[in-house]
Amino acid sequence: MKKLYSVFKQGIIYENPLLMLMIGLCSAIAVTTNVSNGIGMGLAMTFVLLFSEIIISLFRKVIPSAVRIPVFIIVIAAFTTMVDLVMKAYFPDLSKSMGVFIPLIVVNCIIMGRVEAFASKQKLAAVIADSLGMGLGYTWVLIGIAAVRELLGNGTFAGLQVMPDSFQPILFFILPPGGFFVFGLFISFNIWLKKRMEVTARARELAARKEAA
Amino acid sequence: MKKEMTKLGITLALFASLACASLAVVYSFTKDRIERQNEIQLNASLKELFPEATVFEPVEGLASSDPGVKFEAAYAIRTDSAPLGMAVKAKGQSYGGDAVLLIGVDLRRSIVGVRVMELKDTPGLGANATNPGYFVDKAKKLTFPGQFAGKYLTDPFEVKKDVIAITASTITSRSLTNIIKKTGDAIVAYMDQMAVVAPAAGETTDNVAADSQNQAGGK
Repeated sequence: MKKLYSVFKQGIIYENPLLMLMIGLCSAIAVTTNVSNGIGMGLAMTFVLLFSEIIISLFRKVIPSAVRIPVFIIVIAAFTTMVDLVMKAYFPDLSKSMGVFIPLIVVNCIIMGRVEAFASKQKLAAVIADSLGMGLGYTWVLIGIAAVRELLGNGTFAGLQVMPDSFQPILFFILPPGGFFVFGLFISFNIWLKKRMEVTARARELAARKEAA
Repeated sequence: MKKEMTKLGITLALFASLACASLAVVYSFTKDRIERQNEIQLNASLKELFPEATVFEPVEGLASSDPGVKFEAAYAIRTDSAPLGMAVKAKGQSYGGDAVLLIGVDLRRSIVGVRVMELKDTPGLGANATNPGYFVDKAKKLTFPGQFAGKYLTDPFEVKKDVIAITASTITSRSLTNIIKKTGDAIVAYMDQMAVVAPAAGETTDNVAADSQNQAGGK
């Protein structure tokens, strides 16, 4: 149980797919222009990641390594298309605003990367913990970046006007360069956070050792 | 070696067919709902464009002058007694792929309104064409498609002159404007043709045709 928790925890800060592994950035920059897109993309991607990892982990012993990449892509593409269809049927508005980025989950490196590096070698329980952790890590960063960009670039939060009318939206933050800018700030924040957490963890370890001695 | 290859091929085919089968299941479950959603959306938009209308009659025979703009459906719109105009669902190329617009034109040859049904352009930029809170004219609270309402098809329809562009999305603005203009022209041409051709087709339609000709002419 403790092991599963530590796997889960990895994806959120220490091995955050966007801020530490730095994969799957293209769609992350593109959809983070408003918060509801960020939430939608985060959930859709977590869903695809979870089910792709589960399937790959269950079948890992029967997938010949020579054709593993095509098999991974088939599995990922199937789940992505399902998400796309279900969103079109039940959340037409969300599906409209996400546009082309849902089909693009297929080529999102995070899924491919986690499936190849983790799910194809691990047992089911660990895989579920990993995909949920990675999904959560992806989602919080998307929502965070989207919140900053939407607030400064459009004066709204999840579509609701929060800035006073006199506020002139800074278009820069909605445009791709602004996306990279905010993204860079998030990376440095995450590195700072990681360092701090490491320092406290070491201090705690030292204290524990001293006590034992 | 050969045996190994066959085995790989079979495994791959097996995975592919499994994936296909499960996709087919999801597709058949969601198909009806997706179609219904599209229909609901279309009907709601038609009703928004022509609130007094009671009859939306599908018509055929509209010709597009631009090969890049295709008409998916056309409706002649009437109340119980009098014609009101026409609406056309048109599809054309925009920045991020095909865009589908619903364009309504009344008998005065002016655009009643434009609804964006489908657009895959960049979120936050071109996609603002579908955002009801994004105003190209903040003082008048006009959205990008909203600015076309009441516009006559004899106007030039030039972006940055008589059409206000979406900031940083010139391509989206231009392509949508082009679709609207081409569709509007086709509708006007069709209405003109119908008013002229109809009397020859039969005596009984005389009154209605003359009526719509009068209205079409008196803009």
